[in-house]
Amino acid sequence: MAFDLTVNGTRHTIDADPTTPLLWVIREHLGLTGTKFTCGIGQCGACTLHIDGQAIRSCSVPANVAVGKRITTIEGISPDGSHPIQIAWKELDTPQCGYCQSGMIMSALALLQRRPDPSDADINASVTNICRCGTYHRVRQAIHVAANLMKSRRQQ
Amino acid sequence: MSVDRREFLSIAATASGAFVLGFWVPTQSNAQSVPGAAWYEDPATPEINAWIVISPDDTVTIRIGQTELGQGVWTSNAMMVAEELQCDWNKVRPQYASANRDAREKAPEWTLNVPGNGAKDPKGGGEPGFANRDPHGVNGIPDSLYRRMRTNAASSVKDGRYYLQLAGAEARERLLLAASDLWTVPVSELTAKDSIINHTASGRTTTYGQIAGRAARTPHPHPETIKIKSPDQWTLMGTERKNLDVPAKVMGKTVYGIDVRVPGMKWAAVKACPVYGGTVKSYDFDNIRQLPGVRSAVQFPIPDPALTRGRIFSGGVAVIADTWYQAKTALDRMPIEWEIPPAHAAFNTANMRQALLAGLDQPGNVRVNQGNVDDVFTGAAKVVEATYSTPYLARARMEAGNATVLVTDNRVDIWIGDQSPQETRFSASKITGIPEENVYLNLCHLGGGFGRNGNGPQAEQAIMIANAHRGTPIHLLWTREEDFIGTTYRAMGMARLKAALDAEGWPVALEVRTAMQEGGFGPEASFDVASRYYVPNYRFSNHTTKFHVPVGTRRGVGQAAHEFYRESFMNELAHAAGKDPYYYRRELISRTSLPYKDDMIRALDIAAEMSGWGKPLPRGTAQAIALEERGGETNRMATVSAMVHTVSVSREGKVKLERVDIAHETGFSLVNPLSVKKQLEGQIIWFYNDAMHQANTIEEGRIVENNFDKFRISHIDEAPPEINIRFFKTGHWLLGMGHDRATSVQSAIGDAIFQITGKRLRDLPYGGQDLSWSIPDPTQNAVPRQL
Repeated sequence: MAFDLTVNGTRHTIDADPTTPLLWVIREHLGLTGTKFTCGIGQCGACTLHIDGQAIRSCSVPANVAVGKRITTIEGISPDGSHPIQIAWKELDTPQCGYCQSGMIMSALALLQRRPDPSDADINASVTNICRCGTYHRVRQAIHVAANLMKSRRQQ
Repeated sequence: MSVDRREFLSIAATASGAFVLGFWVPTQSNAQSVPGAAWYEDPATPEINAWIVISPDDTVTIRIGQTELGQGVWTSNAMMVAEELQCDWNKVRPQYASANRDAREKAPEWTLNVPGNGAKDPKGGGEPGFANRDPHGVNGIPDSLYRRMRTNAASSVKDGRYYLQLAGAEARERLLLAASDLWTVPVSELTAKDSIINHTASGRTTTYGQIAGRAARTPHPHPETIKIKSPDQWTLMGTERKNLDVPAKVMGKTVYGIDVRVPGMKWAAVKACPVYGGTVKSYDFDNIRQLPGVRSAVQFPIPDPALTRGRIFSGGVAVIADTWYQAKTALDRMPIEWEIPPAHAAFNTANMRQALLAGLDQPGNVRVNQGNVDDVFTGAAKVVEATYSTPYLARARMEAGNATVLVTDNRVDIWIGDQSPQETRFSASKITGIPEENVYLNLCHLGGGFGRNGNGPQAEQAIMIANAHRGTPIHLLWTREEDFIGTTYRAMGMARLKAALDAEGWPVALEVRTAMQEGGFGPEASFDVASRYYVPNYRFSNHTTKFHVPVGTRRGVGQAAHEFYRESFMNELAHAAGKDPYYYRRELISRTSLPYKDDMIRALDIAAEMSGWGKPLPRGTAQAIALEERGGETNRMATVSAMVHTVSVSREGKVKLERVDIAHETGFSLVNPLSVKKQLEGQIIWFYNDAMHQANTIEEGRIVENNFDKFRISHIDEAPPEINIRFFKTGHWLLGMGHDRATSVQSAIGDAIFQITGKRLRDLPYGGQDLSWSIPDPTQNAVPRQL
């Protein structure tokens, strides 16, 4: 049964069971592999993407929930790694293995869009993704750097 | 990323070093004529040597024999080559070396001898550890082209440095010789810097890219005379360099094994018997064959233990479908009956703990016996005894186990994130009967490693499934629950430490008994040869018990549990002696004849000073110190550090690691200090989780904690807000630092809990226990801050 999804600004017709988790439609039907599978039960956040700007753990959401909405994946935040959050992540050399970082970035970005100058408590409450390499020290710093970069871009 | 099979290569490099990892898949005909040749085939870019290709646009491709799993090896290896090559760092692009070629070709003669005089020669190559040639390829193949095509034991920099520096130097000398030949000027009049060769007298210059073709045809007459630079000559090594693969990672473009897409590929979901040693009794494929996308099911046996280093995993069944989610949902609905060995199903954590405890009372394997321990205990003023335990622990890397395999009648292609590619090639050959030289393995980045060199059987399962579907590429992917079945565990362990103290509280006898499952790794760690803390009478014995769980190397290996035992007990002894645990350690180390005791004392002093040791802390906050060392019993390579952890426990019992102060030696020099800092930060989180949250328990022979709802991994809110790192220089080369640092988080949190609550916990993890307190300071008089 076919249905339409709008991902990173492009509309796609998907030929899949519409109750397939959004993660697998994104990875298998659309070939966008930046969004990762890790736990499959919404615990780790590696599969985090945005639906209408909200951070969603896509392994635990049926694809048809996103019909008519805007889906954004890591591939959609900039074509070339120039989004302020990506620049901040590079500045801190944040990733180690990097596997969780797409989801980490998408969680942090949702926070920054909601709260442009987040406190450490805001970060603790909102960025609940798991990183097994333990990059949290740099993730926190990178979020603050990204907040500043985004602020100065807005002021330009 | 589905691409044409012949063009399955997509390296998009930019000046900033961003790239997309890709692979080349040779066609059958290509493969038969020149196996793997196209990797190097382009006549426009002949290689200078096996590590280095320079393109006309000056891009320097550096081939990496280790697997990038977050430790930064793509960057540190490239730095060691580029230092000597003297190329423009911005033009460097790492690429995986060919595992097939590694096995096929011998290492160049000039890489075979390690320059210099071992661990204490700053001009030399240190003491790389090359095992004997191993037909299984577990340890790589020491005389193979890339010397050491494996990724384990925190050894990529330690072992690879000399030959990677040599590779860069050899290429540089040949580039210079080529320019000398072209311009007919003496090579001594040429300089090379940032990929440009300069002849000052005539004002002529050329670039590496322009001269590379000529250099490729210019052998060095005496490559054995080429020297490597010592740290005082380094300009790139020893500086902080951001990781070359980070730009791709923040765009989601890095290709991990799970992201591999091959034309015609089908997906396999598997279930292996959750009790190790179990197999499939029956399964009912007819029940699910009509489900969408489902193609087939195939039963597989327990992988031959000869291919998994003697470990017994389980037999299982795979469902193959067009998409993985189809395969997984169909498999979930397929009835399966298991054949479970009753003896294995009888294991549970409680009876395994009893067996280990009973093992501690057996004579055991006595590894060290100095003085006369028993006599001293008999007449001792004070005896302190403590028994500690550490649970089974999975690595639980983020990327679930996977492998993509294509078997045809005369060839195997494998795409996998793998720390032992030669081992996997050996498995593929044994399972398929196809000669090993026709097995091609394409390395992918790994979504975490943490000791995966003790490979789980994902490759063997995938090869067995693909062998039953010859001609069709099969991508096997484990669910998280399956990943907990397929992994190897750090062995559950116990230790009983017993010390006799003299009237002043100094130990006069120490007995250390450690118990772990037979086959567990690192039984000698931290206690072997000599006690790190002075004691005139010392005995150390290992005690093993047979269990059914497959055990392997996990981050920290033996040190992780053994330093927890040792440093926890030192805290208890200092407390019993009424002495400050920093000065107690310092004094006992100073009384030893350990070769690196001065470095150990320096580490303790620096960490104590950084942390403000001894200053009053608010009620509910405590500090604990510990020594960390590997190789500290020898005068060879070693790594020494010390850490002070500042920990609070709220009255409600909530533990918070507030601050970590780290003193870490650099040896003669680190290669990439930024990577070392990141590794230290990461290991704090790793051992925090071991200390607070993680355990794998066994019920009816099965692992209970098999996903992140039960196997807890901390979030950012539990990360210490403050981490301070200070490096200090020492007079030897390091023994690596990627896996056994920050073990002290475990003993330190335990001691802080004791200082604050009066509760002495000796079983990990501490989390989940009642740590609330309301009493006045229980240790106000118990831990005086004096010697």
